[in-house]
Amino acid sequence: MTAGARGVALAFAVALAAGPSPGAHAVRAWAAGTRASAAAESARVPGGLGVPAVPVTGMDGVPVVGANDLARLLGASRTWRADVRKLGFKIGEHRITFTEGNPFVIVDDHMLRLGHAPRSRAGELQVPAEFARALPEGPGWPRLAYDADANQLRVAPVAGFVGAPRVVAHGGVTSLVIPAEHAEAAVVAGRSRARFRLRVAGALVGALPDSLPDDALLRDLAVSATAGGVTFELAVDPTATGWRLERDASAGRVTLLLARGPVGFEEFAPEGAPGPRVLRTLVLDPGHGGADPGAQADGADEKSLALELARAVADELHRRSTVRVVLTRADDRDLPQEARAEAANRAQADAVLSLHFGATADGAGPAGSGGPVAWCAPAAPTSGGGAGYSEHGPESAAGVLELLPWRDAALPRAVESRGLAESVTSALERDGFGPTSVRERLPFALLGVQSPGVLLECGSLTDPNEMSRLLSPGGLKKLATAIADGVLAWQRGD
Amino acid sequence: MRVRRWLPLVVVVAVVALALRACFGRRSEPEPEVVAADSTLAGVRAVTLWFASAQGESLSAEPRDLPEASDLHARLAALVAGLAQGPRQGGARTLPAGTALLHAYLDDAGLLTLDLSSPFRLGFHGGARAEELVLGSLVRTVSSNLPEARRVRIVCAGAPLATLGGHFPLDQPLDPEDWP
Repeated sequence: MTAGARGVALAFAVALAAGPSPGAHAVRAWAAGTRASAAAESARVPGGLGVPAVPVTGMDGVPVVGANDLARLLGASRTWRADVRKLGFKIGEHRITFTEGNPFVIVDDHMLRLGHAPRSRAGELQVPAEFARALPEGPGWPRLAYDADANQLRVAPVAGFVGAPRVVAHGGVTSLVIPAEHAEAAVVAGRSRARFRLRVAGALVGALPDSLPDDALLRDLAVSATAGGVTFELAVDPTATGWRLERDASAGRVTLLLARGPVGFEEFAPEGAPGPRVLRTLVLDPGHGGADPGAQADGADEKSLALELARAVADELHRRSTVRVVLTRADDRDLPQEARAEAANRAQADAVLSLHFGATADGAGPAGSGGPVAWCAPAAPTSGGGAGYSEHGPESAAGVLELLPWRDAALPRAVESRGLAESVTSALERDGFGPTSVRERLPFALLGVQSPGVLLECGSLTDPNEMSRLLSPGGLKKLATAIADGVLAWQRGD
Repeated sequence: MRVRRWLPLVVVVAVVALALRACFGRRSEPEPEVVAADSTLAGVRAVTLWFASAQGESLSAEPRDLPEASDLHARLAALVAGLAQGPRQGGARTLPAGTALLHAYLDDAGLLTLDLSSPFRLGFHGGARAEELVLGSLVRTVSSNLPEARRVRIVCAGAPLATLGGHFPLDQPLDPEDWP
């Protein structure tokens, strides 16, 4: 570990030890697949989201970890020599030898001295948790971290750790300060006030603050695990006018600044009116079909998977709501884009969700998928024209109604579309399908569609991890449930 | 006798003097001017190609030196060929293998039409994210190396292309400002 990394790790320890800050606003937290209540007392994040961990217990006041748990955490094979009371671990080329009642531990050709000796309990050797700090650095050695707050010992992921965030409100600016070993990798994944999402590489160690300062421009804070990192989801105060992300890699710190008024900050995404939305009819558009299989990989094709997913989402919505669900195609058939738009418009859709899966083929494109992505129409025309589109339709500066090309029918609903995209991706992220992202680019599937709409690429057929999860029993249903969660959250105006 | 005695010494001094002249005498002569071969200075153009980043989150730039070409078609063909061959410094290829430029036309309004060979369409089997990377790398590469191209229309095998893979429309020219 470098000196800088040790500094960051120390900062994490300090953050972990810090108590809750006083304040009024509640803080929510959820783990992948499990959402905690919004009560302040439940604000503790399950320690180290997505990180292998084993419990630490007390033995005469000394935090210890069972040797079996420790071996599992390190991926070590074990040998026990009862005659000399020695327990050996083999981790690749490395060896560790513990001796019962002896504080000296042999690590390869070195000897370490622990503050306390390993002792036996119920036939299992108990190793002091301080051993985590004694492990050498170098190839083949995992990094361990002892989280005294959660009473767990964890393996540090390659992406490093993310510390407990702090919220500071001062002079009209609210700062969300997050210790992160890879601060340079932090990105803003969603920039709406209702669901501002900040993605930070690493595994979260510690807890969210129990509450937020009264004068903070932050009304709510939640966190969820995503592949390789965590996503903080913020509900930003409606009076905030701008944000700025500062990544300080040398200090191991990410700071998100929220401000009211001053220049030099970036704008939030445009948003529609708050409150519930009318959602009588939802049109689901399974991508491709017939002679167009879409993406293909390992015997799976996009057109079949998209249709199966659409049916599952429809079932879920029928079960949980009164929303009428219409599919643009209910079987495997060719369907031109114009016919899809016509089907949506004839059904008087209040929203359209075009369902797709991705792939990379022929050696082109990146190997991973990067998680689900939602595309929606941009909030302003992409090229040409001077009209600004709003929820009320295309208007010129003089307020005169302008003719809108058929293909651009979705543009006036861009703001609502963005809200739908944010709701669905947020639900996917909470249910463990992240990381997700929202992009503003008019999709082909929404040309001519008169309602808010989103093209959702749910995953990649060429990503073995995503495919195994999706094709496992109940995998597609879980994805459908998450999408339905997002749609219904958008309807409620959450 | 006296001359014979000093003769070896005179010879040694003369040899040393000649050697010293050989070593240091050249300093007073003008240095020959080093002239690089023409091929290293002319005929090469520094360009930037845009490929997918390793994780596919974004595009990443890769500087290249391509043979200088005076005509528009040759310049653009070299860029497209570079994209189709893929990156040399990490990242991932975006254009389907075998994609080549058939024709290029730049009008007075800055509308650049790129006519790509059929492997561009037939070789693409990706999803929306991959399609966005294909179009982004193409538009960004062209616009960053040919600033006079203010919009880019993509056609394939001489015919209009409504969409590459069914995810983004190509019925209208693409504005480089929309592909930052």
